[in-house]
Amino acid sequence: MLDINNVSILVGNNSLHYNRQLNAGEITTLQGISGVGKTSLLLCIAGFIPVQNGQLKWQSTLLNSLPSEKRPVAMLFQENNLFEHISVLKNASLGQVNACEDEIMQAAEQLAIAEQMHKAPSELSGGQRQRVALLRTLLRPEPIVLLDEPFAELDYHTREICASWVADCVKGTQKTLLLVTHQNEDVERLADHDWQLTQQHR
Amino acid sequence: MLKNFSNLTGLFFILFISSITALAFYGLIAFNQDGFDLTLLQDSYFHSILLFSIKQALLSALISTALAWPIARALYYYPQLYLKGTFLSLTLLCFVIPTLVLITGFVSLLGLSGILTPFLPDDWNLYGLKGILLAHVYMNLPFAVRAIYNQMRNIPDSSWRLANQLKLNTWQRFYLLEWPTVKSNLILTFGFITILCFNSFAVVLALGGGPQSTTLEVAIYQALKYDFNLSEALTFAWAQFAIAGVFFVTLYRSSSISWLSKDTAKKQYLPRLSKTNKILFSALYSLCFLFMLLPLLSLIPGIFSVKYSLPLLVNISSALGVSIAIAGTCAILAIVISYCIMLPIRYSLFHQQHTTKSLLQWLANHTLIAPAMVLSVGLYVLFLPLIDLDLWGIVFVVILNLLLILPFAIQQTRARLIQYDKDYLQLALSLKLSYWQRISIEWPYIKPTMLSAFSLVFLIAMGDVAIFSIFGSSDYKTLPWLIYQYAGSYRINEASLASAILLSLYLVVLLKFERAQNNA
Repeated sequence: MLDINNVSILVGNNSLHYNRQLNAGEITTLQGISGVGKTSLLLCIAGFIPVQNGQLKWQSTLLNSLPSEKRPVAMLFQENNLFEHISVLKNASLGQVNACEDEIMQAAEQLAIAEQMHKAPSELSGGQRQRVALLRTLLRPEPIVLLDEPFAELDYHTREICASWVADCVKGTQKTLLLVTHQNEDVERLADHDWQLTQQHR
Repeated sequence: MLKNFSNLTGLFFILFISSITALAFYGLIAFNQDGFDLTLLQDSYFHSILLFSIKQALLSALISTALAWPIARALYYYPQLYLKGTFLSLTLLCFVIPTLVLITGFVSLLGLSGILTPFLPDDWNLYGLKGILLAHVYMNLPFAVRAIYNQMRNIPDSSWRLANQLKLNTWQRFYLLEWPTVKSNLILTFGFITILCFNSFAVVLALGGGPQSTTLEVAIYQALKYDFNLSEALTFAWAQFAIAGVFFVTLYRSSSISWLSKDTAKKQYLPRLSKTNKILFSALYSLCFLFMLLPLLSLIPGIFSVKYSLPLLVNISSALGVSIAIAGTCAILAIVISYCIMLPIRYSLFHQQHTTKSLLQWLANHTLIAPAMVLSVGLYVLFLPLIDLDLWGIVFVVILNLLLILPFAIQQTRARLIQYDKDYLQLALSLKLSYWQRISIEWPYIKPTMLSAFSLVFLIAMGDVAIFSIFGSSDYKTLPWLIYQYAGSYRINEASLASAILLSLYLVVLLKFERAQNNA
């Protein structure tokens, strides 16, 4: 279980508060108006924003003081997920991805980006880049997966394909997924639970 | 906070360069038991030197920056300008040109019997404030053009398209796009040139021409060399260190890396130019081109009148070999060490430890303001009784040159490294890359910048005369030192030939530099 126990963080001059338990192997969607603190929460769990108060625990391990590189977290950022100067395939295999090239290509096939894998990131469209990053994030071994608006740049059809691929991956590997989205259809397709953040978190 | 291995390596090197400066000052203080001569600070001689040092530095920086801006705009808005690539290489050559070569050029152009002197007013005199400003502007205006132009190139295409779409007028484009982009860079460039000119030595020594036009650095040298007045030298050295320090701190506080776009942005789209603007820009560009070329072209007559002989060529080529070996060693060390030094600075920047960052940055760059003369002489008097300096002199030449080029290496690579962290550090941490994986991904990103930084500091180190004048020996002469000896014994033609050979090497390296930069 990922236990977000009365965690508060400081973003600029605002103090944000979170309290929630996420069960292992379940998918939680995170919603709320822009600026309410969704991305900040993800960055906090990933170790990029320090916890001011409260406890952040994974299975009984306290995460508060662990540096980001030691946390059991794989995160997809809103942007800058690919190194621009190395190939897409190389990008996809970074991060101790425990899959051989064949498996990566198989996943790429499913996400309809197989033909893009030997190109440079700058040759890809926004939606293609997002799928490459999504592929890598889910093939990584970490049990906690954080996705920040992973389908934002996708059309309706591709969105459907990607969402079902994500669901299969997460259920197959029993990962704990927290996903930021503005689309109710993502909630309907994926969520075991929906978490609505409101201004009261401030 | 900074306790991992890579940060400790960086801290070790910062400590290393700081201790050398400390040792140099200790050498001077220990040698001169009387300590400071504080009465000197009230002396009118000191006041006039101080005032002149500041005046010439500010004027040089003001003229260079103010003239550079319109030229940079011409380069940016009118990319079809003829020979633009050559122009840009030339701007770098002017910045790193060995001072002796430049002065040889200026003297044969504008000196007493110079080529252009008959066309100038009767009371024209190259020596004094005019000559100093001319030489300083020659070296720094092109540098400023380059810096401002590069900064303007960071305006993304998308912004220009947006400006077009919003139908912004010229003034709106200027203050919404251009001004925010170049503002911080103008201040930074102005400040940087001020510091360089405040610490300028060879130009003032050669073109100052009297006590009315002397700077602190030259006064230190004179106090040491002619009067052997150590307490005067030491007092001046502290004064210079303190004032340059104030400039430097102000500069670093006001500097920020703003608005650097990702390297995916290709420059293809620019606003259209009116015909008047095209003519104006072409004229400015041509004038600047001519200004940069003339002192170099004036070396040519000497090459044809020199009497070629085997010993002359052997002398020149062996000196060239020594120069390359020394400068090469210094430049490799400088690049490796500057990378290590940036590690704790990047770490503290990423973790928002701003006080630590500023302190480390100051220490890492302090040799930019520590007078070269003071460092050299301090170490010299300290080590003279301890070791055989004839034998070990070369080591000091390397260490001191390294110290002086290190701030340039840091300056060149800093922005790229910080940009890398800004774009990718979170990603790299989140991917839990191993140490070698991180290096192997970072290297292709920073390689072009590293190569171009290498060329630049290699050339700066190769131009050194000041340090060699104290620690060098006659067994192995560097090429600039040989030029100095030829010029000193009135063998101007030989000096011109050696200068031309040195300049050709500079050009070759600069062309490599440009190629590396274009890949960056």
